[in-house]
Amino acid sequence: MMLARHAESLFWAGRQIERAEDTARMLDVTYHGLLEAMPWEAERSWKDLLKVLWLDRPFAELEQGMRAATVSEFLVFDPDNPGAIVSAVGNARENARAARELISSELWEAINGFHLELRSRNLRADVEARPHELYGFVKRSCQMISGVATETMPRDDGWRFLMLGWMLERAEMTVRLLDVRYSQLVTAGATGGFHHWLQTLKSASGSEAFRRRYRASMDPADVVEFLLLSRTFPRSVLFCLRAVENDLARLEAGSPNLARPQRILGRTRSDLEFLDTHELLQGDLHVFLDQLLSGVRQVAEAVALQYFRSAQEHDIHALDPYGPAAEVG
Amino acid sequence: MMTGLFDGYDPESFFDEAITSGGEPRAHYEALVRRLDGFTSHQLAERERVRDAAFRQAGITFTVYGEGEGVERTFPMDLLPRIIPADEWAHLEEGLVQRVTALNRFLDDLYVGDQAVVNDGIVPRWLITSSEGFQREAYGISVPHGARCLVAGIDIVRDAEGTYRVLEDNLRNPSGVSYVLENRAAMTRVLPRVFDDHLVRPVDHYGPSLLNALRRVSPAGADPDPTVVVLTPGVFNSAYFEHAFLARQMGVELVEGRDLVVDDHVVSMRTTHGLKRVDVIYRRIDDSFLDPVVFRSDSILGVPGLMSAARAGNVTLSNAVGNGVADDKAVYAYVPDLIRYYLGAEPILASVPTYLLWDKEQRDHVIGRLDELVVKPVAESGGYGMMIGPSASDSEIEAMKRRIEADPRNYIAQEVVQLSRHPTLVDDHLEGRHIDLRPFVLCGDKVEVIPGGLTRVALRKGSLVVNSSQGGGSKDTWVLADGDGR
Repeated sequence: MMLARHAESLFWAGRQIERAEDTARMLDVTYHGLLEAMPWEAERSWKDLLKVLWLDRPFAELEQGMRAATVSEFLVFDPDNPGAIVSAVGNARENARAARELISSELWEAINGFHLELRSRNLRADVEARPHELYGFVKRSCQMISGVATETMPRDDGWRFLMLGWMLERAEMTVRLLDVRYSQLVTAGATGGFHHWLQTLKSASGSEAFRRRYRASMDPADVVEFLLLSRTFPRSVLFCLRAVENDLARLEAGSPNLARPQRILGRTRSDLEFLDTHELLQGDLHVFLDQLLSGVRQVAEAVALQYFRSAQEHDIHALDPYGPAAEVG
Repeated sequence: MMTGLFDGYDPESFFDEAITSGGEPRAHYEALVRRLDGFTSHQLAERERVRDAAFRQAGITFTVYGEGEGVERTFPMDLLPRIIPADEWAHLEEGLVQRVTALNRFLDDLYVGDQAVVNDGIVPRWLITSSEGFQREAYGISVPHGARCLVAGIDIVRDAEGTYRVLEDNLRNPSGVSYVLENRAAMTRVLPRVFDDHLVRPVDHYGPSLLNALRRVSPAGADPDPTVVVLTPGVFNSAYFEHAFLARQMGVELVEGRDLVVDDHVVSMRTTHGLKRVDVIYRRIDDSFLDPVVFRSDSILGVPGLMSAARAGNVTLSNAVGNGVADDKAVYAYVPDLIRYYLGAEPILASVPTYLLWDKEQRDHVIGRLDELVVKPVAESGGYGMMIGPSASDSEIEAMKRRIEADPRNYIAQEVVQLSRHPTLVDDHLEGRHIDLRPFVLCGDKVEVIPGGLTRVALRKGSLVVNSSQGGGSKDTWVLADGDGR
């Protein structure tokens, strides 16, 4: 039991840190993947990246060219882009501050220190001259925050809401990644080369884990199975949903009935878990992924309604996928 | 004898806390001076950088408004601690307990008693009823044990002779205690070895002491394990850091107005699992924003119905509503009489000679020499609206004179206290800077004073204004334990 407003702040802090990390990782993979690619592949790759991050439309409205510099700057530090890394981290910090007395001082300092360092850097120069170092810094900082949280937060409801946001964001991201990468192949009419799928795995930080499990294979069915259904890989959709399911159950410990978020999640999870990947690839993967994404979003909406009771105040997906952005000072 | 940092330090004609007019360290500063004299200014500047980085990283900041968007600043802590010897502290402590006890008796007398103090002619009735801090809405609302001012911050200065004097009382929402604890934590990290030669009394029990005091004023008939919360205006308030700090130190929820609801005169907070009843609210929102039903109706910070719940005895608001009448600067002049009236004792702590300007005799006596006096509006805090005569221009003095003539009730004049000074690091050397002291007094089972308090320092040369909003800094404040270790 905790203050509803605090639960919401922690939920969004988790989402925003996960989003910053995912954005940095995918930027890194896209940028470095293109160094060895044919020039005409570039525009396509940047467009896909924006789609995965759900920012293709806001970017299109800027009417800038689809180039490494424009997309990277938009995703790293454009102050008008609430999904940019600096905005996500700034918002995570404001949300952490709003729940300041619930999180450990170490966790607060990790988030605040990250925010301050990000602000003090010359990001335009970093994007231009040493992108790998910059994205590495963002990833490491997010991972450190996750580590500090794991090591210093009591496993109470506050922890659970932080993790709920974190895992739901990650699940969504992986679903969208698969969807975009797969639909690209369908339209191109090919099964996709080795590099295409390797990049997909790297975007989810899963190439090494995949290799250990499937050895030399780069069969699309294996990649889809791995990213959707692995029980051991922490970025697979099933792994995230199971984590969410556990946290929801603990929130409702002692309650005789399943809460609405649990019911929606249970349905979504079982639709996923008992899937036959080969069968799925015969049919329309896109339709399935679309349903899966909608299931994950409904869980988030149900959590908001059940625990934050703020559905009227902000429809969390309609306007702004990045959360009630506390104004960044 | 002093060859390092203190070389060339000149206390001038002021009372210096650390160095006598003869240039020797006072007995209780000897060890500190010896230790610090070995530092080069370069080393100290390095420590200052460590300190600043630590404060920023920890987000120990306050927000300054007025320059467009709010700016987060750290509250600068000077590296030289202020030291109070055990015997001086014993005197201060005794005087503070006496003063706050009398002020609580006074408030209870006014709001739930017979107003005997007025009927007996100690304080004029019109002075009470014309005070901005007097809240009719609080009349009849009692607080368990009469602890209306559960937390008091009493500002103390030291004059040219070294006498401690009460400058003003802060009985509404005194802030700054978080800096007392954070300054101590920072000092132990930045200059750990300096503690070696001293027995410094700890301060980090403030959180539990505050929680105990708050639990004690829980309404009669409430849960024996009452729910206590801290009520803040929100993250954009300049003292938000302190509100969150206190909630964390006590392990209680930090709520905003929108987290609370009043239904049938019962206050509850909105939790992830429905409403939960609240028994005691340590509120850090000013009276006028607390409840839009009875105070400012445009307040979105407050909670509609809060006062009715307090009146019904279902919740305790702490500090109580209406305490402003007792820290009205015109009432300040009467506090020595209040101590005599309620406690039958002579005041232990001296005050600052004060002139009440509505009194024609006193006004005529001082109006011609405002250039020698300090003039303060009676209801302000934080140093706002005050005029320091000796440093004011002729036109400022004339303007003040007109304001006084127009509304004499609203102003007091005080003799200038030549505040004591303390060696303070300025760039790469030490200079004397004026300081004051705000000890924090808690009314729990007994009236308790946290050893030391917040020493504020006027960082601008020659300035007498120590408020954080006006360029002040702070010092870690050490109360030395006596031979018995207390």
